[in-house]
Amino acid sequence: MIKRARHLAFAPYVAFLAVFLGWPAFYVFRSALAPISASRSPMLEAVTGQFRGSFVYSLQLSFVSAFLGLVLGAMVAIALVRLQHVRGLRNIVVGYSSVAANMGGIPLAFAFIAAFGMQGLATRLLREVNIDLIGWGFRISDFWGIVLVYLYFQIPLMTLVLVPALDGLRRTWHEAAQSLGASARQYWRMVALPILMPAIFGGFLLLVANAFAAYATAFALSSGSSRLVPVQIRFFLQGDTITGKTNLGYALAAWMVILTTALVIGFQLLSRRAERWRR
Amino acid sequence: MSQDIAFRDVCKSFGTTIALSHFAIAVQDGELVTLLGPSGCGKSTALRIAAGFEVADSGDVSIGMSSVIALPPSKRGIGMVFQNYSLFPHLTVRENLEFGMRVRRIARAQRTARVDELLELVRLGGLADRYPHQVSGGQQQRVALARALAVQPRVLLLDEPLSALDATVRVEVRDEIRRIQRESGIATLFVTHDQEEALAISDRICVMRDGRVEQVGTPQAVYRFPSTPFVARFVGKVNDLEVELRSSTTVRLRDHAMEIAIPSTTLSAGEARLLVRPEDVRLVSIREPQALHGVVENLHFGGATTAVDVAVTGTGQVVRVSDVTRAVHAGVGEAVGVILDTERALVTRQ
Amino acid sequence: MRATRLVWWLVLVVVGLFYLVPMLSMARFAFQRIPVIKLSLDNVFDRWTVEPLFDTFGDPNFRKAALLSVMLAVATAVATSVLLLPTMVVAHLRSSRARKLIEVSAVLPFVVPAIALVVGFAGAFRNTFPFLIRHPLGLVPLYVITALPFTHRTLENGLAALDLRTLVNASRSLGAGWVRTMVAVIAPNMRASIATASFLAFTVVLGEFTIASLLLKNTLPLYLAYAQGQSPQGAFAVGLVLVVISTVFVALSNRFARTVKT
Repeated sequence: MIKRARHLAFAPYVAFLAVFLGWPAFYVFRSALAPISASRSPMLEAVTGQFRGSFVYSLQLSFVSAFLGLVLGAMVAIALVRLQHVRGLRNIVVGYSSVAANMGGIPLAFAFIAAFGMQGLATRLLREVNIDLIGWGFRISDFWGIVLVYLYFQIPLMTLVLVPALDGLRRTWHEAAQSLGASARQYWRMVALPILMPAIFGGFLLLVANAFAAYATAFALSSGSSRLVPVQIRFFLQGDTITGKTNLGYALAAWMVILTTALVIGFQLLSRRAERWRR
Repeated sequence: MSQDIAFRDVCKSFGTTIALSHFAIAVQDGELVTLLGPSGCGKSTALRIAAGFEVADSGDVSIGMSSVIALPPSKRGIGMVFQNYSLFPHLTVRENLEFGMRVRRIARAQRTARVDELLELVRLGGLADRYPHQVSGGQQQRVALARALAVQPRVLLLDEPLSALDATVRVEVRDEIRRIQRESGIATLFVTHDQEEALAISDRICVMRDGRVEQVGTPQAVYRFPSTPFVARFVGKVNDLEVELRSSTTVRLRDHAMEIAIPSTTLSAGEARLLVRPEDVRLVSIREPQALHGVVENLHFGGATTAVDVAVTGTGQVVRVSDVTRAVHAGVGEAVGVILDTERALVTRQ
Repeated sequence: MRATRLVWWLVLVVVGLFYLVPMLSMARFAFQRIPVIKLSLDNVFDRWTVEPLFDTFGDPNFRKAALLSVMLAVATAVATSVLLLPTMVVAHLRSSRARKLIEVSAVLPFVVPAIALVVGFAGAFRNTFPFLIRHPLGLVPLYVITALPFTHRTLENGLAALDLRTLVNASRSLGAGWVRTMVAVIAPNMRASIATASFLAFTVVLGEFTIASLLLKNTLPLYLAYAQGQSPQGAFAVGLVLVVISTVFVALSNRFARTVKT
């Protein structure tokens, strides 16, 4: 095959990505950078003024759910290591984690409304033991409610990231550390934790990106009104309505893309480093 | 004589599999003792019990004359090198070497000095700031050795350190290990399944099989005077000939007429095996009296020596002759004679 | 030792409950005709019925939405294979650099969240190709992109397990053209991967809400969101069915993935 023809083989794929991924992304940024009025760029206005609150809220939600997902997901992963002698346990947990990690959207929101909503089953059951969630001000559509729902996919996602990383901790490193006189605590502090750090931190970034981009769940929980950035974008750009502030919507979207890009790049770099060490 | 490492009547089973059965040996006065045997013979288990990563079911292990059975690995004063993945991947060579010292909270100045010393010892001066994945396998093992020696352990435990290396590198690193061990005079327990390795570097070899000791002795003793057929077959090459025992001092190759003298044996007459090393077989002219007649089947050119496979006429058995003298030039298909020097041969039932 | 082991069991049990309770609650809400307030130990097993599910099945809007979603899922699965397989085969045969590039490109969808993608898409094509926005099948390219990271990885695993070069050389040397080679030699050897990737594409499409919502297409998830107000029990019932289907699909893909990798 001649050189030219070889490159041609990739043309459909590249064209497809360019048209349906590249062009929309480009359009978002172009619209976001076109100034609304003489002085202010939508990009700037999106993160200052009244929408700053949205970003802060979204980021807080993402970081909190990512952090809790990290802690709990790590505990599950460690539990699997400690209980590795139990046959089949690992397959079940990892298997279910891969299902739950992709769970989201409407059915998940429904499930949590059914469980922890005002008329929720769990809410009711907890009231029997004198834990009155509603009385304490807990609402599934509020910050901590959404965090709780997001944990449903954050925890398994972290587990899925950490289990292979823990597998990669070779026994010889532990034994070598012991033979050199290290106590258990010293081993964790000087060997295991540093080696796991890229996976842990990378996983954290992944969780943040995951939470930040989530739309459907938040939408369903708050019935379409929410301070979260993705839902706000919709408000500005729904259908064909020209609200006069569409560029702001695009600016919000552009900032989202910038943020998730940074997070994904961070995650990839850390994964690359973790892989190198596993060799 | 100080017993640097001593195993006394150590037994260990994994479920129904017996790994070690009444295992006993002592490494003394800074010697290098090799545990040699096929996989599953218990050699690694024994080493790991000495290190503390496995616990013996019964028996005692002592290091430097005091029992260590109750101590965790971190408190036994051992230095250990593993087959692979020894080095910490997230630390540079220098940081790896410093590890044992950092654990003991030794001051930086002393650490740096010692690291430089060690790098010189293993002759890897320029690699201090590289990461393990940036150096070759052989260099990694040398660093691992240096790291183990960094905190002056009482004994050195090496678990098949050369098995994962390329053949050429293996000899290099092996000689390094031996040199360093001799210089530092540290008692060393070395585990391998490679008998050539064992012969090359050991002060004494302990040949093991199925959890038991078959023979312990210097490399020369184990090679020249194998006490059991297993040792004869496992260490070095040996001709394993089917014979018929005619009397306590003679045998005949199966289907062959000529009687061959052997060292006196207590076995009763009947089918047996004669184990003769290739260097104890002489290639002679076919007219030589007392020679078994045969035809050259194959020549194995080994550089310094040539091994000649001779098919003994009428028996269907092949005898390998290790011909150092190149006294007889024979080509494939030529008729030659072989004479078995049975002075050090073993006769066995199986 | 026993005590610490118990702690880890506890962790798994608590997390397991956390996974289970919402699903059970959803099932209870959907299939038991007793409002939560009136629930007590006496009537816990009463008035269970699958009626809500069938009521919803009877709703013509549901039927239309379900049909649309299934059509989109099938179209996405097919489009994914048709687009990805030849491209990835060529990349594998060319160089590891080409393969890496494709791999990186498959991660790009993560970088553009669905909400940003769809508003960009709508804005970009509103004036130039409005039919893409109006016609439901216009969703398919976006869905292919959304599922790309997962489908690509699955197909990549499948290709890596084959001795591709040998297969292709053998086929070509016997006189087969490229198309024939793809269809008759490579694809049959990739059956497990293609099936797995298709399952994943299905799962993604059946659960996708954001894009469909903003483009005002009445897919199944959208139907559910709005039915939540009208007939919540039915909506929750169907939601549960969706969860079960997704679970089965993902479980099947995992099973397939394991056989592919060996």
